[in-house]
Amino acid sequence: MTFTPLDELLLYSGATVLVALLLGRRLAAGWMVTILYGVQLLGLLKMASLGYGGTPISSSLSFQVLGQTLSWRFDALSWFFALITLGSALLSSWYSCGEWERAFRRQGGNLWLFHLAMALNVLSMLILLASGDLLSLFIGWELVSWAGFLLMAMAGGIATKAAMRYITYAMAGAMMIFGGIALVYVSAGSLQYEAILTAVGRMGTAHLWMLVILFGAGFGIKMGLLPFHLWQAPAYAETPGPGSAFLGAISSRMGLFAIALVLVKLFGVVNIESLKIPFTLIDARDLLAWIAVLTIILPTFTAMKQNDARHLLAWHGIGQGGYMLLGLVVADAMGGAGGLLHVFNHATYQAALFMAVTAVIHRTGTADLNKLGGLVVRMPLSFLVLLVGIIGLAGLPPMNGFVSKWLVYRSLLNQGMPLLFLASVIGTLGTILSVYKLIHNIFLGQLRVEHEQVREAPWSMMIPMLILTAIIFITGLFPGIPLAWVASVQQAVGLPVPDYTLGGVTASSGSLDMIWVIGVLFAGFGIGALIFYGAGPSKRVHQLDNYAGGHFLTADVRYQYSDNFYAGLMHLIKGWYRGSFLWLESSVKSLVEFLSLGMQGIYRRANAEFYLLSIALFVIAWVVI
Amino acid sequence: MNSLIVLPIVLPLLGAFLLPLLMRLSVGLGVWVGPAILIYDGWLLAEQWFSGTALPFSLAIGGFAPPLGINLYIDALALLFAFSVQLLGLLFWPFRLDQESARRQSLMLLLVASSTGLALSGDLFNLYVFYELVAVATFGLIAVSATGAAYAATLRYLILSGIGSVLTLLGIALIYGQTGTLNLAHLAQLAPHQLNDTLGLTAFLLILIGVGVKAELFPVNTWVPEVYATASSRLSAFLAGLVSKLALLIILRLLVLVFYQPEALQVMLVLGILGVVSGELAAWRAKDVRRMLAFSSIGQLGMIFIALAMPDGAGLLAVLALAFHHLVIKSGLFSLADGWGGAIDQLRGAAKASPLAAALFVLFALSLIGFPPLPGFWAKFTLITELASQTSPLYLIGLTVFLLATVVEASYLFRLVATLYEKSPDETEPAETPKPAGLSLVTASLFGLGLLATTLFIAPVGDLLSHVSAQTGNVNLYIDTVMAGQTGGSR
Repeated sequence: MTFTPLDELLLYSGATVLVALLLGRRLAAGWMVTILYGVQLLGLLKMASLGYGGTPISSSLSFQVLGQTLSWRFDALSWFFALITLGSALLSSWYSCGEWERAFRRQGGNLWLFHLAMALNVLSMLILLASGDLLSLFIGWELVSWAGFLLMAMAGGIATKAAMRYITYAMAGAMMIFGGIALVYVSAGSLQYEAILTAVGRMGTAHLWMLVILFGAGFGIKMGLLPFHLWQAPAYAETPGPGSAFLGAISSRMGLFAIALVLVKLFGVVNIESLKIPFTLIDARDLLAWIAVLTIILPTFTAMKQNDARHLLAWHGIGQGGYMLLGLVVADAMGGAGGLLHVFNHATYQAALFMAVTAVIHRTGTADLNKLGGLVVRMPLSFLVLLVGIIGLAGLPPMNGFVSKWLVYRSLLNQGMPLLFLASVIGTLGTILSVYKLIHNIFLGQLRVEHEQVREAPWSMMIPMLILTAIIFITGLFPGIPLAWVASVQQAVGLPVPDYTLGGVTASSGSLDMIWVIGVLFAGFGIGALIFYGAGPSKRVHQLDNYAGGHFLTADVRYQYSDNFYAGLMHLIKGWYRGSFLWLESSVKSLVEFLSLGMQGIYRRANAEFYLLSIALFVIAWVVI
Repeated sequence: MNSLIVLPIVLPLLGAFLLPLLMRLSVGLGVWVGPAILIYDGWLLAEQWFSGTALPFSLAIGGFAPPLGINLYIDALALLFAFSVQLLGLLFWPFRLDQESARRQSLMLLLVASSTGLALSGDLFNLYVFYELVAVATFGLIAVSATGAAYAATLRYLILSGIGSVLTLLGIALIYGQTGTLNLAHLAQLAPHQLNDTLGLTAFLLILIGVGVKAELFPVNTWVPEVYATASSRLSAFLAGLVSKLALLIILRLLVLVFYQPEALQVMLVLGILGVVSGELAAWRAKDVRRMLAFSSIGQLGMIFIALAMPDGAGLLAVLALAFHHLVIKSGLFSLADGWGGAIDQLRGAAKASPLAAALFVLFALSLIGFPPLPGFWAKFTLITELASQTSPLYLIGLTVFLLATVVEASYLFRLVATLYEKSPDETEPAETPKPAGLSLVTASLFGLGLLATTLFIAPVGDLLSHVSAQTGNVNLYIDTVMAGQTGGSR
């Protein structure tokens, strides 16, 4: 019964919740909570050995209930996800302090509830990440689900509707997991990870199939895997700004954490691969990979059609989750590293992007992509943050998103999965197109008259954004820093580990050195600059000095092409947007509605005695005959 | 000392008959009689629990030893139920001082007396008599509400309940005709030889359906939504919380001691599944708070029947956990509905007017859908692990239905929560949102506190319930306790 660093971390996190609960109405509450997230992060860094292959640290907390042992511990996997959780919580909370807070309060927002919900989210995520057996995993899982619900629902109106939809999906997922846990318990006789590890070998094919489906779908709902993806975008997008940055960065990754833990570590990819689907050439792992790829493609192209910047980003968040799962189920050294590294990378740029968009909302009052434009001259730093963020999101060098996506592509090619590779490239194309729409419609084109007085975002918001921007670039330049953590995670879940260097990975099948890549890239920029500045006189063009279709426009008519973006492409692919999943969702709802009507009909009947008698007669008749 | 255990049955019964007279003499005195009796009985039962008397024991009434004489059988389960009766009777005591109050209070005392008797009886015929008394007291209490809808609902309940009683009596008669005894312990001895046939099965099914009327068993529960929606919420709380569990207790005792044919279990499993499906789905569309709670109650009872239908007493722990959990939750929720009754749409933004009530509602709802680490989660956990370990596929269907129903349950309960916390579109609108009555809010808070305390001490509570369920499931212990010194002994 010694006080371990994990106890300390959980204690700090609990203290944060208490402070938010008791002092949350004070003016300085935001700063207090932010500092406490910093303290939590320090507590986590005390366990930094975990990120470099250290032995797991357990908590002294343990319970015995109804013959079950509940325990909590941290290993490399938990540490890695906790680092992302606390990092994004710290920066989102910092971002919310000061000006955003005041504006939020002015608009009638409940700041106390916001801070409390954030602190609860962080605490429950840490509890989930620390789970030491399936039962504590489920407890953590439910805590995370409901804490998320609180944060999503608190804004009221549309947000509450979206949150209701979320919680119905989340409950469906939770019940699948609950059922899965019961089945595991019956076959393993215990819910301890070690017992399950040994029991998996004994399980029959049908049993394992059942478990893979139940756990895969249950955890997948949180990740927004197809076909359970509909809830996520509206729920995340309608959360108050810093909240959506936090949720977008880490919340749905809890599903990936659980998949890595249960499907990859406990069940094992080899066992999942042995589950063949009859009459086809594919197995359960291929099924998961294809679901991942579809999750990349469909939500990404849905994102392209969004006209609200937050919704666009949230839809991308779903799509990017597909890359993570894809890398994880390919499960070779590079794929696993790519999938897990993408969790980190995605969190950094997604948080930065949501923050940049929230900054634009803060200054202009809208995130409608048809009502913005030309803001680059008014908010240049926000533009920079958004630019760096979308380069990361699109997976282009020199930002960190490139590294993780490269690793995933490489592993797909190495493992001989060209179709999956092709499909994920289509997803990336969609990403590039839609993030261009995002930056163009907000920052490029001509400034609107009503935005002429707009100022740059305040420093309280700017600093966290710039920190994230720096992280996106630095981990793009030196991917070896996070790769070290990722390698220990891979080791912890039993995956092969790639040879990584500070600049990337080395492998016989193809190496990547980002220092070299970025060096070449910047050399290219340098040459371009030399030509630009050396080749002769250039002329500065004012933002409003422009023409369209050969006609000069006066400065009175602001020109911003935003509506019906990508008209040509949309004309080609519009037949593919069928809303099939919406149809599926609404038909399930109608079915429940219909059944419900029928059931109410039974209870509305006046002549209940008649039923009673007829049933009694039936029973007697049945028994006698 | 042990013989004092009859007092919790006798005292309220006496009180029930004397109260109207006493009220005529002195209202000031009469008001305190009921609560005093309940408190004394509660104390007596609690003392019995803690005094260290070896449980279980059997008490022969009238000096004739069983199986000839009738007896009370007091084990941990019976004590727990009897204590709950006193506690709930006290919590839902009709405190108002008006013309009706004397009638209400004596009916309530009658209800308490007969419920306690039901919990402690060790004899099938006495069980039946007390069961009928419970019914009579309930009819009276609902009808005292005296609205037109309440009369209509009561009439429907009355007819259904009456036919149910006839069926039960028929079942009991069949048993008596076959075995010549109605003592449960004696029946338990004879059952393997004499009741393990179609006749026994018929008798059980007749009793199941008859008693099922009060246990909200599908399909004889059609009275539930009407009665709960029209009777006073505090009475509904008592009915949904306790009386349904007492009816369940009869079935549980019979199932453990006398009938264990697989066919009987199968019928119960199917009816339980149908109850879950129909109750939860019907609640999904309910537009009225109390009706929603009534339907949800049907669903919950269905879950308990599923648990009860597991062979060899495997589900006993789950039955007890679910039953006591539901007892606390539904009583709490119906207390909140006192004042929050009526259309759900009227409750828009009600959380602002009464934040405590809304918070309690969220707490109860979370526990009801099994949010860990609240007690409801552990109750459901015991149920699903037992269900999953059954070999018959029918139980897996039960498991699936149970999980799906929980999703539906979460959906409609939290739709209501969202309504409660909805911000009114127009802030200037005068707040005329309904509020739960003060007294009921206190009651609900007590249940909420109890729930939270159980969450903290879940490990000892779990151990306690495991102990109780093990004792309940031990047939030989029952026989040996009652038939001590008799020939035969355990079967």
